Amino acid sequence: MSWELIFFAVFSAAMLLCAIGVVAFEEPVHSAAALVGSFINVAALFVLLGAEFLAVLQVIVYTGAVLVLILFTIMLVDPRKLPSFYVGKPLQRNVSAIVGAILLVEIGAAIVTRQALELIGPHTAAMVDSMGGNVQAVGQVMLSEYALAFEIASLVLSVGVVGAVVIGLPNRHIEPNTSTIGLGHSRGSSDMLAAGPKFESPMDIPAKRYTAPVGERTVVMTRDADAYKHPGDTSK
Amino acid sequence: MDLTTNHFLFVSAALFIIGMMGVLTRRNILIIFMCVEMMVAAAGITLAAFAHETATINGQVFFLFALAVAAAESAVGLAIVVALSRQGKAPDVNEMQALRN
Repeated sequence: MSWELIFFAVFSAAMLLCAIGVVAFEEPVHSAAALVGSFINVAALFVLLGAEFLAVLQVIVYTGAVLVLILFTIMLVDPRKLPSFYVGKPLQRNVSAIVGAILLVEIGAAIVTRQALELIGPHTAAMVDSMGGNVQAVGQVMLSEYALAFEIASLVLSVGVVGAVVIGLPNRHIEPNTSTIGLGHSRGSSDMLAAGPKFESPMDIPAKRYTAPVGERTVVMTRDADAYKHPGDTSK
Repeated sequence: MDLTTNHFLFVSAALFIIGMMGVLTRRNILIIFMCVEMMVAAAGITLAAFAHETATINGQVFFLFALAVAAAESAVGLAIVVALSRQGKAPDVNEMQALRN
C-alpha cells in the first residue's frame, strides 16, 4: 500500500459521500454545502493526477464562483414554492437505479478489459518540471495548439453572460392599461391583504389616454411621408 | 498495489452515475444543476486521468474548455431560475411547461 493509494482512497471516499449527500439532502442549501465538499475532493484527485492547475481552477471556478451563484439563486427563490422533498415516483426511482447499475457494470467492464495506453505524449513528469511546472505546460499548449478553441471559449462565455442578463431582466411586456403600486408585496400574494385579482392596483388610477387638443387644427394631407410639409415650411 | 488510471476511472464513473441518478430522481431544478456540475467534474477526472496515463497535457486543456462551457451553462440556467421565480412559478421540473405543445 503506497501513500498515494491511501490518499486516493480517502479523497475518493469523501468525494462520493458528499456526492450522495448532494442527491439525498432535503434542503438545497445542504446540497450546495455537500457539493463544495465533493468539488474540493475532486480538486485533491486532480493534484494526485499531477494536474495542479485544474485543481486550483476547480476550487476557484466551482467552489468559488458557481457555488456562490447557486447559493444566491437558492436565496432568491421563494422557499415556500420549492418542491417538497420527493425522490421521484417509485417507477422513476426504480428505473434510475436500474439504469445506474447497468451503466456502472458497463463502464466497469470497459475499464477492466481495456488495454493501457502507451506513453505517446511528450509531457512526462520530468518534461513538465523542466517547462517550469504544470501551469506553464498547460498555458503553452492551450495558447499555441488550441489558440482558436481558447478564443471560441471566451466567445461562449461572453454569449453566456449576455444571455443570462437578457433572461434575467424583468419582464418588459407588461400589458397596457395596468398599473402596479409598490406595497412591498403584490396584491393577492399576502393573506393580510384583501383577496383580489393579481397585479390590479387597489387605487383608482385613471388610464392615461390620448386626448386630442382642443381648438383649431390644420389638416395636412400628403401622399407619403417624404411629401409631408409642416404648415408654413417653405424649404420644399 | 499501486495507484493506476483504472482507480480514477472507477471513481469518476461512480461520481457520474450518482449525478445521473440525481438528475433522474430529483424535482428541484437547483439540485439538478448541482448534479449536472458533478457529472462535468466526473468527466474532468476521466480526462485528467487519461492525460496522466498518456503523458500528454491535452486532456487537461480540454477540461479547461469544458469548465468554460459549464460556467456559461450554469449562468444561463440560474438566470432561467430567477426569471421563473419572478413570474411566481416554482423551480420544479414537473411543473415547467412553457415549451410544451
